[in-house]
Amino acid sequence: MTKIIEYVRLYFRLVGAGVRAQMQYRFAFIMRIVGMVAAYTGTAVTMWIMLYQFKELGKWNFYELLFLFALAVLSWGFCIILFFHFRSLDTYIVNGTFDRFLVRPINPFFHFMAMKFDIGAAGQFIFSILVFIWVSNAIDIHWQFGKILFLLGAIIGGILVQGGLLVFISAIAFWTTKSERFYWVVMYPARNLTNYPLAIYPKFVQWVTAFVVPFGFVNYFPAAVILDKDTPYFSSYIGYFTPLVGIVFFVIAYYVWMLGLSRYKSAGS
Amino acid sequence: MAIIEVEHLNKEFKIAKRETGFVGALKSVVNRQFVTKEAVKDISFSIEKGEMVGYIGPNGAGKSTTIKMLTGILVPSNGSIIVNGIVPYEKRKENAKNIGVVFGQRTQLWWDLPTIESFELLKEIYRVPDARYKENMNTFSDILGLGEFLNTPVRQLSLGQRMRADIAASLLHDPEILFLDEPTIGLDVVAKEKMREFIQEINKLRDVTVILTTHDMEDIEKLCKRMILIDHGQKVYDGDIAAVKSRFGKMRTLIVDVEENGVDLHVSNGELMKEEGNRKWIRFNRDDFSASDVISQITQTHNITDLTVEEPEIESIISRIYQEGFTKEEVPVKV
Amino acid sequence: MDTVKMYTAFTKKAFMRSAAYRFDVWTRLVSNIIFLLMWMSIWFALYAGKEEASGISLTAMLTYVVVSQFLTAVNGAGTPLWELQEKVRTGDIALELMRPFDVPLRYLFADFGSVAFYMLTALVPLYVLLFFFVDLSLPTSWMTWILFIISGFLGFLIRYCIELTFGLFTFWLIETGGIEDIFYFSVSLLSGSVIPLWFFPGWLQTFATYLPFQGIYFIPNAIFIEEISGKDVFISIGIQFFWVAVSYTILRFVWRKASNKVIVQGG
Repeated sequence: MTKIIEYVRLYFRLVGAGVRAQMQYRFAFIMRIVGMVAAYTGTAVTMWIMLYQFKELGKWNFYELLFLFALAVLSWGFCIILFFHFRSLDTYIVNGTFDRFLVRPINPFFHFMAMKFDIGAAGQFIFSILVFIWVSNAIDIHWQFGKILFLLGAIIGGILVQGGLLVFISAIAFWTTKSERFYWVVMYPARNLTNYPLAIYPKFVQWVTAFVVPFGFVNYFPAAVILDKDTPYFSSYIGYFTPLVGIVFFVIAYYVWMLGLSRYKSAGS
Repeated sequence: MAIIEVEHLNKEFKIAKRETGFVGALKSVVNRQFVTKEAVKDISFSIEKGEMVGYIGPNGAGKSTTIKMLTGILVPSNGSIIVNGIVPYEKRKENAKNIGVVFGQRTQLWWDLPTIESFELLKEIYRVPDARYKENMNTFSDILGLGEFLNTPVRQLSLGQRMRADIAASLLHDPEILFLDEPTIGLDVVAKEKMREFIQEINKLRDVTVILTTHDMEDIEKLCKRMILIDHGQKVYDGDIAAVKSRFGKMRTLIVDVEENGVDLHVSNGELMKEEGNRKWIRFNRDDFSASDVISQITQTHNITDLTVEEPEIESIISRIYQEGFTKEEVPVKV
Repeated sequence: MDTVKMYTAFTKKAFMRSAAYRFDVWTRLVSNIIFLLMWMSIWFALYAGKEEASGISLTAMLTYVVVSQFLTAVNGAGTPLWELQEKVRTGDIALELMRPFDVPLRYLFADFGSVAFYMLTALVPLYVLLFFFVDLSLPTSWMTWILFIISGFLGFLIRYCIELTFGLFTFWLIETGGIEDIFYFSVSLLSGSVIPLWFFPGWLQTFATYLPFQGIYFIPNAIFIEEISGKDVFISIGIQFFWVAVSYTILRFVWRKASNKVIVQGG
């Protein structure tokens, strides 16, 4: 137990250092926030234009679509802050700067994770929270306590799923040193895919995003519960499993990463 | 009981064979061929507490592979390593508490933050008690002159300053063993001297065992009494530096300044290497002749106004060994 | 003639380089396919069973999406902008300025090479397969194909000039992160790359027609699905020529200012 407390303390110390390092570049920091808000607003605008004429996408109207999108952005925001640098593990290994984590008396996964705390991603929160407020008003979502709790669970689950995926991609670096590329070519497009209701995609895609790479649990399934939408092919309660799916997925990802690490220790690079 | 005990250490890597051409690329996707590379072959040595050992060899000899295994980063294919009573790759965290590492070219410090913050973070990571931390910081600041740049961000430090900070950081938690990988690379002459002084101080004051890999022969000569030389993954030499010199460096150069210019100098027990006006360079094998033998022969025909006897530098001895490999016969050394 | 040979040498070199890193190049296809799937599904769902909307049939719209993704891939196959910006940040750009060629042209010709490799070995085969398996409305007359290729090429040039001009702002602004995002989004939206201009609200559509971006994707796409036909095609291509000239002029102006800055300040 004391070990966990120790680690938590250490995490905040390390992370604090990372934040202070970022604040050294104040202009860049602000630009990033502006950029993120702008980029997401851009997608929202695109959605608006899309539905200007067509009114509905797979039975989701504009506000519902926006909500779906904002939910993904919110949990992704936390993900960026905590895990985004995992995708660059290949760069660390190639430059030889990863070994430093192995020479210290703390868990290397923990150490690597605590090295960066990208607070610039705060822009995402600004966007999401504004959207939530706007949408809740527009389509009259009643935020009772149960719903809020559910939302929290969904966010945590979303963080764990997306974080877990970043960890998986990171682990690739231990085998082939091409993790960053894998992120941009696979995870980035897939994230875009799940900004829209999964119901519009072929059955195969829906199945994959539910049971293989559980993106569906990040926003689609929970949003469907909150907004009371149909989820064809899936039980309407599936959204409730988000936190559980998140935990399981992340734990598996962690073990795969540690497996990759032991492979790295026996095979070099 | 030796503090580091290495027995029959062996490390093999499987390297994927790279096929050329389009057909080759397709083939390699279907059927990956591997070539086994033996980076470290049956190396054994033991190091006592407080020793300062130079671990040297040409690039690709297996130096960094051995060091990685000693620090717990890499798992050996065969053989055993015991560092301070534990097996490094089995008890990585425990081992980490006992060792300090300095990677010459890559810093262990936090790049964007003031130097002092890196020390504070390392204090947390290694759980250094407050009192000990203060003590160490004072000692290091004194000897290394850290005070002048503790508040400067690491990225703004000069190379010399950064290396000083790195070595202090590696000793903050009072490790028993210090691994130094190219600690003086890129430093100017003065900085190198300071660095070497510090390493000697630490070794003397705290009985820290130092293992030093370097290409700078002066480092070796000035710091280490013992040298382990490896090449192609195998141990080629393990012993006193002085012994290396005497075993491999039997040639001497006698430099004489003579009064008479233009009078030919004939030396039967040596070889006239070059002449510049009054100065002559004569090489001789000290096993066959002593310096005084050569000198007395010269004085028969010339008056000597000044003389020096030069020993071969460790550098040329070692480059000789690198080039020609280790053979059982003694190899004459060109000076 | 020598200058032509010099620049085509860049094209050849870029082609060989892409061939050397062919696996990297081909993995980009994965991303392209995922986005293609995404947009096709979105439009299919938007139509929700309707046969046509605003006079555009579903098949035509899906064809629009496919062609647009094809052109997006082609436009994305050149030197990424951040490479140039890195060179500016590190000061390496000064090395380029010391050489006897025109830097913007050099990168353009290099891009031709990378694009050619990507197209020939990955894009075209994939999309040919797509045409066989998916029900799309392809142009019937070979004239339309030719006009499409011309239009697409002009769109590439417009995109190149605008993107490079924008990228050069790094010379002045060290950090362009946020502005970049706004820029890319605007271009992507107003170029009609994912939503054709006909589906825009009236005021936005009018606004977009006065911008050069529509020349990058919308015009070639629309020509392909024959939504622009007859003499309108030549008018549209004329508009593209106009924008190529304008954006190229602006590029040259900004480039001169930027390179002067390097020469005077040293980067």
